[in-house]
Amino acid sequence: MMKKIMNDSSHVVSDMLAGIAAVNPKVCYDREGEVIYRSEKRKKVGLVSGGGSGHEPAHAGYVGTGMLDAAVAGNVFASPDPARILKGIEYADSGEGVLLIIKNYSGDIMNFEMAGDLAQDMDVKVKSVIVKDDVAVKESTFSTGRRGISGTVFVHKIAGAKAEAGGSLEEVAELAQRTADNVRSFGVSLSSCILPGVGTPGFVIEDGQMELGMGIHGEPGIEKTTMKSAAEIAEIMVDKITADLNYSGRETAVMVNGLGGTPLMELYILAGEIDKQIRSRNITPVKYLVGNYMTSLEMAGASVSMLRLDDEMKEYLMAPCSTMAWKEGV
Amino acid sequence: MTPAEYVDYIVLTADEIEKNGEYVTALDAKTGDGDHWVNLNAGFQKLISIQDELKSLELAPMLRKIGMTLMSAIGGSSGVLYGSGYIAASKALNGVETLDIRTLGTLLWAELDAIMERGKAQPGWKTMIDSLYEGLESYQAALESERDERAVMEALKEGARQGRDHTREMEAVKGRASYQTNKGVGELDPGAVTMCIQLECLSDYVINNKL
Repeated sequence: MMKKIMNDSSHVVSDMLAGIAAVNPKVCYDREGEVIYRSEKRKKVGLVSGGGSGHEPAHAGYVGTGMLDAAVAGNVFASPDPARILKGIEYADSGEGVLLIIKNYSGDIMNFEMAGDLAQDMDVKVKSVIVKDDVAVKESTFSTGRRGISGTVFVHKIAGAKAEAGGSLEEVAELAQRTADNVRSFGVSLSSCILPGVGTPGFVIEDGQMELGMGIHGEPGIEKTTMKSAAEIAEIMVDKITADLNYSGRETAVMVNGLGGTPLMELYILAGEIDKQIRSRNITPVKYLVGNYMTSLEMAGASVSMLRLDDEMKEYLMAPCSTMAWKEGV
Repeated sequence: MTPAEYVDYIVLTADEIEKNGEYVTALDAKTGDGDHWVNLNAGFQKLISIQDELKSLELAPMLRKIGMTLMSAIGGSSGVLYGSGYIAASKALNGVETLDIRTLGTLLWAELDAIMERGKAQPGWKTMIDSLYEGLESYQAALESERDERAVMEALKEGARQGRDHTREMEAVKGRASYQTNKGVGELDPGAVTMCIQLECLSDYVINNKL
């Protein structure tokens, strides 16, 4: 039996966004476009992201100084349509151009690129960066390839700081792309999740089992296995990530992200084990984020994202920001 | 073919799509979500409801308006693909006043290119593209061998039907059918079926009314 705190399951997205706007005076809510945007507009490159709902605080929680200008929400686990995204672009555009930060799903890419084309017809300069950080999926030119997951939040942060500092659209897009190119993530899931409009779990992870590499919409992972200890999980995660990108000797930012149903107690236990794994591989963690940054409704589990830094990425990672879900230096 | 006549063709097409509801939905239930016809039909019915406004527009703005309307009213991937197709056609025909046998090809090729690019898909992937692509190849061959207008339009229709029928043996690369173990082999693609209906209607309209 589904138990969720809500009014009407068909209004969960608009009720949630209205709640976010009610408690955060720095953002406004456009109900028609399902867009959360900054209440104060500045002359700078605009940043827009978005995607299906159910991944909160992504993306509305990252709207604010130093990160996004607008976040466009689709229905639960469903991409927003181009008309909504175009609204978001209009809110974010101050004449300096707009960068779209897109997670690599075929629906999101189609809808965001279409919105970008429509905006360009209206003489708004638009560039986009596609984030594909999930190493559980093989990169492929034939299929859609790697999914975009929690590592996307690093792109919001670093590109957002660069835009806030007055970077041009080309500079912001270049740094966003570099960030996307240097971030890798891997997740494990312990339980399923229930879409409010459906009422029953779409799949089941049996007692005593976990799934390695499952996507944030419950897409199949690479392996189902027996439940493991935090130390063993951390070793698998860091193995998968470092097998894909060489972090040795490099400064790295690390996100230990909860999928919605895992307590912070467990995330900190995992973070401690991740730290041991990282240090044993001659990697220097210079920044940790532990918490729920990109969730899958009430799914239990976690993902780890590791960003290999250079000086510029590090500078903008550490720069101040003030959003609902990430505050830095304020 | 004037912009107003193009709208008349759209209205005929909408009626034809409406009539094929049960057939397309039953087909879609085998390989897809089962919602393709409902969404496409909603898009074309929306076009019927704004036909007077469409008829008041010149060719390029009319095609753009059709694209924007289909994008919103169909919704989902099909909405974006049809929207992209018509908006690209609008750009390709900017400044053109009426359609002749060649500019009709310009319109359709622009749609095909935009749908392939937006959907990141190719002919042979068991999609709406297959009807349009094979229809256009056949149209182009007839045009280049300087056949008359009727023959060129017959070629478009025949090619579209062949493309539609070829999807039966194709394996789906994208979309819901690609998750099935047999990749939808043995069934026609519903998107190719509804695209074929549109091309058949276009061909019949031109043959019956002349350009």
